[in-house]
Amino acid sequence: MQRQTYGQSPPLHHPVPQHVSTVPQLRSPPPLTSQPQSQGYDGSPYQQQHQAQGQPGIAGNMFGQYGNFINDPTAQLASQFGQTALRQGQDYLERNVNRLVNVSALKHYFTVTNSYVINKLFLVLFPWRHKPWTRRQASGGGNGFLPPRDDINSPDMYIPVMSVVTYIFLRSLIAGLQGKFQPEIFGNTALTALGVVIIELLGLKAGTYILNISNQSQLLDLIAYSGYKFVGVIVTISISEIVSGGKGTGGWVGWTLFIYTFLANSLFLMRSLKYVLLPENNEASRDPMQSMHPLESRANKSKRTKFLFIYSYIVQLFLMWILTRA
Amino acid sequence: MAILGTLLYVIVLALNAITVLSEDRFLARVNLTPETHRRNFGENPDSSIKYRTIQLVSSIRTLARIPLIIVNTLIIFWELIFG
Repeated sequence: MQRQTYGQSPPLHHPVPQHVSTVPQLRSPPPLTSQPQSQGYDGSPYQQQHQAQGQPGIAGNMFGQYGNFINDPTAQLASQFGQTALRQGQDYLERNVNRLVNVSALKHYFTVTNSYVINKLFLVLFPWRHKPWTRRQASGGGNGFLPPRDDINSPDMYIPVMSVVTYIFLRSLIAGLQGKFQPEIFGNTALTALGVVIIELLGLKAGTYILNISNQSQLLDLIAYSGYKFVGVIVTISISEIVSGGKGTGGWVGWTLFIYTFLANSLFLMRSLKYVLLPENNEASRDPMQSMHPLESRANKSKRTKFLFIYSYIVQLFLMWILTRA
Repeated sequence: MAILGTLLYVIVLALNAITVLSEDRFLARVNLTPETHRRNFGENPDSSIKYRTIQLVSSIRTLARIPLIIVNTLIIFWELIFG
């Protein structure tokens, strides 16, 4: 950075027209000695005339696509400051968020296609005719399952996230249509959804610990599976509100829809989680640490099946009822 | 917002209930401690549900004792001041 010499009187120029052509001129930046670098930190009124000469080159070089309006040094100072602040903010985010959340693992759950989303929604609402429920392994060998775009049975996070947001908006919309809208509804609904997911995960984790189920799927898989119930909840609430004329989810239509979506969701969960929570026979018997008697492993399997059934049906019934009650 | 406070209260109260039980006067009588639990053959403790629950309860008691003291004190102050 070159210090300006205040002692000199600025040379007398005609005012140079501040006209910069919009074609980006890719010239190399002017050398330091001849003209002051427009780094922005030394932007001051004393440099107006010097800057005017360097404007076309520098403006074309750094801000070519912005056009004409970065001309005076205060705007350049502001843009430099903005760029530095943005870069620092991105670095801070990268450092801290990467520690909390596994971003690359999350990206795996958001690689969805339109056909996948439509088929998966149909599957959540009508799972009785679907045949193979196993997830396919990635061809790399041992490093996980196929992403959602290649495998209809793979859980994704796109549908659960969208369902939760839609659920919050739907609640607020219905409250508004009934004339009972308050801004706290957004926060309360969000916290209810969050509380339901947390309760479900706590119960699932306690159950897997007590029953000694060593599942290979991660926490994000379980969060994704617990988010699929919101699809059924949305369908129940919206259709029952339309049919019953805005009087809530009670009545025949509401309860029928609730029972149907609850059963569909429970079957979907049972079939999907069967391979997650109930280990196959060969895996359990080859474990050297556990010398499993065949009778014991059968008792274990029945215990785990009961746990899966209780989790899929009774727990989901309770949670869906919490979410759909008016 | 009140839902989060209610959830917090429920979790703290449940943990309190598990932690407050007296080990020698109550849990030993009902054979719910790691020492008094009879193992049938002792080969594979991990496969018994009761053993896992006993382990869970005793580890919750050990780990949550001191943080629960702090959290309970904070909640008491909150309730006293803010009602």
